[in-house]
Amino acid sequence: MNNAEIITVDLRRFDPSSGEAPYYQRFEIPAQPNMRVLDVIRAIYETKCADLSFQYACRIGRCGTCSVKVNGVPVLACQERAKPRMRIEPLSPFPVVRDLVIDRGEVESRYVDLNLVPARGSPRGEDIERITPVAAEQICNLDRCISCMICVSACPAVEERAFDGPAFMLKLRQLSLHPANGQDRVEQAMEGGLMECFGCDACTQLCPTDLSPAQAIRELRRVKVFGGSQ
Amino acid sequence: MNGTKTVRLPRDTTRQAESLVIGRASRMTHRITGIAIVLFVLVHLVAQSVLHVPAFSAWKTRATWLPTLVSQNWIHAVLLFAIVFHTLYGLKLILSDLGWTFDYRRSFLLIVGISILFGIRELARYAGI
Repeated sequence: MNNAEIITVDLRRFDPSSGEAPYYQRFEIPAQPNMRVLDVIRAIYETKCADLSFQYACRIGRCGTCSVKVNGVPVLACQERAKPRMRIEPLSPFPVVRDLVIDRGEVESRYVDLNLVPARGSPRGEDIERITPVAAEQICNLDRCISCMICVSACPAVEERAFDGPAFMLKLRQLSLHPANGQDRVEQAMEGGLMECFGCDACTQLCPTDLSPAQAIRELRRVKVFGGSQ
Repeated sequence: MNGTKTVRLPRDTTRQAESLVIGRASRMTHRITGIAIVLFVLVHLVAQSVLHVPAFSAWKTRATWLPTLVSQNWIHAVLLFAIVFHTLYGLKLILSDLGWTFDYRRSFLLIVGISILFGIRELARYAGI
């Protein structure tokens, strides 16, 4: 994109206090080299629309705060390159607080409910639980999840069925691998709708940290169906 | 062994909204082909009943759309595409659940390619090639 180009953005606006229905407002921003969607949103805020509400924090793809939908695809605004025509919406299916800001309260409470710590079934005895290098690598790998909820937004099963979402399944898989875990993570996953996954791998394609929640779901399902250790 | 480990570079996640979401495409195609197969079976049922079941023979004069529909060879090509895609993609889902790992993009494109080949072959067969 060169400096002469204009970026046209249809941005979804919603103010619940106004009593009006959500609507799309069009903005035109001069393009800059290497511009990201977050840069566009900030430019709109600074030059065109000072009452625009949006979220961001780290700006380097590590916090997961700036997730939005661009042209119907959930992405990290700080990572996604700006396009000449964009439709920017808040991340679905979460409740919208205002404009691009979503309410993550339900997400946080779901994480709390899952008790995502290695909870022993009984008090620790004399032997400590040893973690093999392979298990440690797997656990640390799954810890890359930044809870951006892009996978949950992209998941068709979340829309259509009683399914918590790939992000929660991934965290349950991570805890199931931990040798000090005493909770039945597979049963927790079942309660969260483990079998509802379509296996489409949309979550894998869109995960900004290159994880595969779909693979974690398959592994949990195999443990459930065929037995074996978690 | 020299102790080195190959590290896979992170993939580019800066153009997610530009690319086709394979999961959406594969899911919708699987659903559409499933519906197409069911519709074909229903039409096939009606067509065969009209032709071979005495009780429905009176429909021959009323169902004037039936010979027109049956003579459309491209419908058979579409049907074959639908059957092959639906079968292969369904098998891929089952095998994935059983432990095989597939690259979602390559497997989808391969299945679509094989299905298209079957459809083209069906068209060629009707064309006498």
